[in-house]
Amino acid sequence: MNIKKKIIISFILSFLTILFVYNDYFLYKKPILKINDIKEKIENNGTTKEKNITQTISGTIKNGKYKGKEVKVINHTTTSGVYDEQLHKHSEVFVEVKSDLTAIGINGVKRDKYVVILIIIFINSIVFVAGRKGIKTIVSLIANIIISLLAILLFQKHARTWNMLILYLFVSIIFVTTSLLITNKKSKKTFSAIVSSIISFIVSFSLAFIIIKLYKKPIPYWTLEYIEAVHDYENFFYVTILLSGLGAIMDIAITISSSLHELILKDPTIKYKNLLKSGKEICKDILGTMNNVMLFTCFTSVIPMTFLLMKNNIVLGDAIKMYSQVEIIVILTSCINIVLAIPISLYVSAFMLHPSKKRKESI
Amino acid sequence: MITILSIILFTLLILVGKSRGLKTFGIFYLNLFLILVYLFIISIGLNAIIHAIIICIVVTATTLFGLNEVNVKTKSSFKAIMIILVIIFLLTFFIGKRANIQGFSAESLEAIGGYSFDINYDMTNVLIGMFLITTIGTIIDTSISISSALNEVHINNPHLDKKELYNSGMNIGKDIIATTINTLYFALVAEFIGFFMWHYGSGFGYIINYKSFVVEISKLLLSFIASILVIPLTSYIASRDLLK
Repeated sequence: MNIKKKIIISFILSFLTILFVYNDYFLYKKPILKINDIKEKIENNGTTKEKNITQTISGTIKNGKYKGKEVKVINHTTTSGVYDEQLHKHSEVFVEVKSDLTAIGINGVKRDKYVVILIIIFINSIVFVAGRKGIKTIVSLIANIIISLLAILLFQKHARTWNMLILYLFVSIIFVTTSLLITNKKSKKTFSAIVSSIISFIVSFSLAFIIIKLYKKPIPYWTLEYIEAVHDYENFFYVTILLSGLGAIMDIAITISSSLHELILKDPTIKYKNLLKSGKEICKDILGTMNNVMLFTCFTSVIPMTFLLMKNNIVLGDAIKMYSQVEIIVILTSCINIVLAIPISLYVSAFMLHPSKKRKESI
Repeated sequence: MITILSIILFTLLILVGKSRGLKTFGIFYLNLFLILVYLFIISIGLNAIIHAIIICIVVTATTLFGLNEVNVKTKSSFKAIMIILVIIFLLTFFIGKRANIQGFSAESLEAIGGYSFDINYDMTNVLIGMFLITTIGTIIDTSISISSALNEVHINNPHLDKKELYNSGMNIGKDIIATTINTLYFALVAEFIGFFMWHYGSGFGYIINYKSFVVEISKLLLSFIASILVIPLTSYIASRDLLK
């Protein structure tokens, strides 16, 4: 198949999917209201800094037994939108409809199309940039998502009597093995990457665990997002630390084992000592970049909360202490885990990949 | 606790990376400081989107030129990142303005309940700013990997023309995509696990339209898209600039 055909096919497929998700009302049981017109009354009664908006919305029900009927509903919102939705003409909302065709209230906005649009952009770009490897990456991603969901299911089914941390230690081993095996060929270097990842995360996690346990002052775990869903706050905190750096540890392990493999291929008689020496140079190059990825990807989730606190006249330092401390601890421990993974992967890979007979000679 | 962990991180970085470790530590704390500066800037009422873009540019400049030097490869990375920033901005702007995902969801109600919501500041802008800053780390990481690898290829094979150089950039990119996606997925997976435990038993239709789920998944997908698209762009710009 030539590239033109591929582009046309993917364009048609993407277009059809987006068309479908813009008209998928029949999939939902709850009535969906497509907004046709909004009349806004903006007022400021003097007691608030922001403006209150009363939106009188009229629209058409798109599914269920009231399909095609015109319905009016009122939405109260504000210009800040901290905990309310300012609706627009193109929004679609879930509503509750009474038999006399009056809607009693809005139950949330229909957002599925935006998720699907982003997924389509992601799949198209990865397939066009990386081709077959892109498809493999998607497969490995789906495998990881399934494993994650199964682990949650298992944990919930067993009435949460299991220790969450021990469960996720096992799950992490499965994560590492499947993702590395799907995206790489079955070979000695993949195997050594798997072993070094597992050793790295166990060693570095144990170290983090001991450091935090030795620290006497309590850590405010309860400020982690969604933590109230789990009864075991402390173990959820450790699971967060364990998982956050896992992808980066795998990244380091496979980079180091591939580079060492290359070095051995180029010079099969390379001495163990020299292999380690060249490996150390590679280590220096991969150091550092990952820490920034962790910082930006993880830390930004505290922005809305910290912002709200600061708008409530709490100074930056206190806001950080109250709600971002745990996030910073998670990022720092992940960074420590990542940095530790570098020498561990180097020694494990060198030990596993270097032809053993020659190693004895060189020592 | 933060001090103890910082000292451990500092020692490890020095042991593994010597002077580069020191630089890494410095850049890490500088970036953390810049995020705090951003929080301060928006809390005094300045525009959250414009200042997020400015912070992203400053972060890119310090990370690229501070951790490495000012040379052809960092300059071409910088150009590529600026273009990606524009693309990601358009995408986040579209999602942020349309999907009604600003502010907080029901899970946060207990945490935010004690505070006033009357802040007179459009939370949509904060959301778009957050998305932009989330993606910048991975964009820089991917872009500098491509441009420095291409630089090595160019030094070792000076006879390669623009097209061949671009192709080898894309080949390197193909190899790093899988691990980058993996790194990002695991960096955010704990939040998803918490989310699914909270909403355990809810249907698919409920979850895919749920505010905080859409925020988390957009964050993840935008980071994926940004780190993929930066590969051909960096390859193109670096292969052009290296041959100049």
